[in-house]
Amino acid sequence: MAESTSAKKHLETTLLVPALRKKHYAESLTQTAGQKTGWCSNGVPSEILDAFGINAVYVENYATVCASKRLSSGFCRAGERAGFSQDVCGYARILMGYLLGGAEAPEAPYGGLAKADFLLVNSYSCDSRMGWFATMQQTLDIPLFVLDAPYQPGGGCTEPAHMVYTESQLLELVSFLEEQTGRKLNKEQLRARIDLSRRSADIQTEIYEMRRAVPSPLSAGDAYTVVWPGMYMAGTRECDDFYARLRAEVNDRIANKIGVVPEEKFRLLWSGLPFWYNMALLNYFEDFGGVVAIENAYFRNEKSCPSQHPDPIKDMAITSTMRRHYAGDLEQRLQLTLDIVRDYSIDGVVLAYNPSCRLMYLLQPELKNALDRHGIPNVNIECDMADERTYSEGQIKTRLDAFIERMLALRK
Amino acid sequence: MDLQLDSLRRNRHDMARAWKNETGGKVVGLFCCDVPEELIYAAGMLPVRLMGEKEEASEADLHFPSNCCPYVKRSFDQGLKRRYDYLDGIVVPNTCDMVRAMYGTWKMNLETPYAYFLEVPQRISAQGVEFFREKLLDFKGSLEEWSGREIRDGAVEDAVEVYNLNRRLLHRAGRLRQDGLITGVECQNLAISSMVIPKQEHNRFMEAFLKEAAGRDVRPAGVRLLVSASMLDDSDLIGVLEECGGSVVADDMPAGSRYFFFPVENSSDPVAALAERYLSRIPCPRKMLPLARFDFVRQVMEGAGVQGAVIHSLKACDCHLYEYPYLKAMIEDLGLPVLFFRGEETSAEQETQRDDIEAFIEMIRG
Amino acid sequence: MISAGIDVGAVSTSAVVLDENGIAGSFVASSFEDGLDPRQVMDRLLERTGIKWEDVKVVAATGRGRSGCKFAQKTSSDVACQARGAYWLFPSARTVINLGAEVSRVLYLDEQGRVLSFATNDKCAAGSGLFLESMANLMDLDVSEIGGLALNAGSAVEVSSRCAVFAESEVISHIHKGELKENILSGLHTAVADRIFELSCKLTFRPNLVLTGGVARNIAIVKHIEQRLGVTALVPPDPRIVGALGAALTARL
Repeated sequence: MAESTSAKKHLETTLLVPALRKKHYAESLTQTAGQKTGWCSNGVPSEILDAFGINAVYVENYATVCASKRLSSGFCRAGERAGFSQDVCGYARILMGYLLGGAEAPEAPYGGLAKADFLLVNSYSCDSRMGWFATMQQTLDIPLFVLDAPYQPGGGCTEPAHMVYTESQLLELVSFLEEQTGRKLNKEQLRARIDLSRRSADIQTEIYEMRRAVPSPLSAGDAYTVVWPGMYMAGTRECDDFYARLRAEVNDRIANKIGVVPEEKFRLLWSGLPFWYNMALLNYFEDFGGVVAIENAYFRNEKSCPSQHPDPIKDMAITSTMRRHYAGDLEQRLQLTLDIVRDYSIDGVVLAYNPSCRLMYLLQPELKNALDRHGIPNVNIECDMADERTYSEGQIKTRLDAFIERMLALRK
Repeated sequence: MDLQLDSLRRNRHDMARAWKNETGGKVVGLFCCDVPEELIYAAGMLPVRLMGEKEEASEADLHFPSNCCPYVKRSFDQGLKRRYDYLDGIVVPNTCDMVRAMYGTWKMNLETPYAYFLEVPQRISAQGVEFFREKLLDFKGSLEEWSGREIRDGAVEDAVEVYNLNRRLLHRAGRLRQDGLITGVECQNLAISSMVIPKQEHNRFMEAFLKEAAGRDVRPAGVRLLVSASMLDDSDLIGVLEECGGSVVADDMPAGSRYFFFPVENSSDPVAALAERYLSRIPCPRKMLPLARFDFVRQVMEGAGVQGAVIHSLKACDCHLYEYPYLKAMIEDLGLPVLFFRGEETSAEQETQRDDIEAFIEMIRG
Repeated sequence: MISAGIDVGAVSTSAVVLDENGIAGSFVASSFEDGLDPRQVMDRLLERTGIKWEDVKVVAATGRGRSGCKFAQKTSSDVACQARGAYWLFPSARTVINLGAEVSRVLYLDEQGRVLSFATNDKCAAGSGLFLESMANLMDLDVSEIGGLALNAGSAVEVSSRCAVFAESEVISHIHKGELKENILSGLHTAVADRIFELSCKLTFRPNLVLTGGVARNIAIVKHIEQRLGVTALVPPDPRIVGALGAALTARL
């Protein structure tokens, strides 16, 4: 692989993220006395954890940090040595390798993670998360709470039974946290956090919409970094300020027609997760006038539901039933991709087939079929998003080079 | 109708079509042990577990990538090859990523008239059981709307009785297996056949079969094995184990004990009883409750005199692959050796597994 | 008593004759080059040792093709025969790694040489003899040379240890870039040894380590495995015959 594997950052606001992230991890390690630490999966609402004053560590992000620091091989080997198959999520193997240590495990970035007092996982994103957290529970022998909610393949709905069940699970989470921390939920703080979270999320939605502009004001190389505060600092003033600033910068670039390349020759959609150990791949097209204008992994095109109830827990239950992020009928997801291609003036799609992230991987062939039916050029590249041993530079570059040639030829 | 045990699975499509012609009823395909078949039965329909064949999944390969569940992919492949054209409906439960993905993909590519997604909670809780009860009522309502007929409580209770009898009979088969009167292959074929032919018919078949088997001479036992597996939808692997000198005397499999082990309790609210049994009692790793899982594995081994365990996971099966290191440790702590396979369960693969299986059996014999 | 053992493997068949004094003779035939069937392999061995068929009390067969050996009175699994053969040669053997043409296995033995557990490679070719042979062919070398060349390399070019298909395309690309054969081989051998080491990690390693199978003649592989495990390996004079030796011992049981 090339020497530098980080993505090139085109926006100034993006450059703020590494410091934010480092600070976040440093603060997490030096938690205040009496503060409890919970290791969480993405999807466990940070607003509730903040309202309890809990030090929330979102471990999937740590796995991407290990991968981007080129440490995945050692951690994965350590995880596999403990018996975890190469079939399972790269993040899980990295984290298990970190937990189990051993001679193969490299030195942990940021000085490692704060020791967990309990584990929290949400059920309705993917199987792997739950399996992984269950195994962490067995290794660490600490309490695990599984936050469940209806799957809702059709997306959001208004069924009362769904809302009642979701609320009951949130209330159980609250009881669990009250037991673990010895504190009561601070509902005012939770309400404030939720409102701020929604505000930041809405700004992010606006920014996604702004990215329709030609030339592209914000491409995937920056996007996968600027998504970080919203995922891990949601509900904070800092997060809100960050996105307001980002929106301003994107606005400015659009007004002045500042793109990511001097002359935009083709625009791409990246479908799936990026390869965290080689984010520079997202910039690969730039030398040829190509830009990854948009990505579908964290895409949002809907504003937050306005508050549905004064009680914050009931509000969360109702609004999360009415809106669904990960789930969604296959036909809906395919249609969304076609809409993105149309709305973002996309010339071609890169399909990242990631064998260990089944959630994303399973839909790529049907996505390819849909793109082929509509005559939208696409290329698929297959390797794990976190385990860099699966990356074959020669093979991938060959495919991308051929695709780029095709993109350039189509332009003529 | 030829009721030879080993032909029931092979002839399942013809049998389902014949049933449709005779009764004018609807056939509903389904995945996984999570779907309360009793409701489908009570609606006068025939529930059948979807299964694949050991052939190249050439059609499904165009819709699913390579590293995913071979069982679901091959079942879908059978659909694409038009072998499931007689299905009037499918029911997809909220079991795992691959099964969930099947909901959208099946609907998009096949013309099965009725497709239902069943919300099954991912963890066991009192509120979960209540939620599941409500979803089962919704499911029941959906079946009523589709069939144009009401499903009275009495019909559900009758269905539970028929199914519970089937479960008791399959338990009896398990005991005969432990006693060496029927083989592991026969026992698994009994469970598999139960999933594809009408339950009452299967009950009659089993009564006759078990009566005959009880009168057999006890066959000499091979090395006594537990098989713990993700979905094996035929008895081929068990067959190889028994050809190599093993006797499969206990199992922890979806097309086996996990399907029938627990009964539905008698209750004034039969739908609530279904919710309780199907949510709280199915010991699948997908439920993420390792202690309950390991209790179940210990339960199926009770009294069987197991000498070694064969753990099989289909490739890309997150639920089983995460569990594996801990399940292995639990079984080894009981003093039993473990042989592990992870694969696609193709015929070619089974030939290479044979070497390891013979070595394992020889190792246990000493 | 004279007994014989035959090991009908993927690419070669080996045979051993045992008498009261030990190994009376052994013979290894390559399936492709020599074109001998198992019976003929045994004929050849007996010819060489001057022993007649009638004098051989019992024959046992092992290896993938063992069921085809109609002249054998007993058959036994590869695992059991590798264990018996290795333990007979080295009674201190507690870990045996069998490096075959297609399959690699690690076995753990107790103090009496009984198999406690074993693990087989994951259907992946990247740890096997046939893979090394095809890489040698790619570089116009004989497989017997590559270990020595790899050990004498000044530096190593990185080769993926994850997958044989990847490794092959990487080797080809290194050749095109003009990398020195020794350096490519060094990287390749590290990758293959890593794969084997990964296999050995499935169980808890205990010394002493015995390496068997054709690939155990490759000094670079042996050295790398020794380094990874931090031990000196015991390698029989002809590691290819350990299975057949184990079969000959089985015949005497």
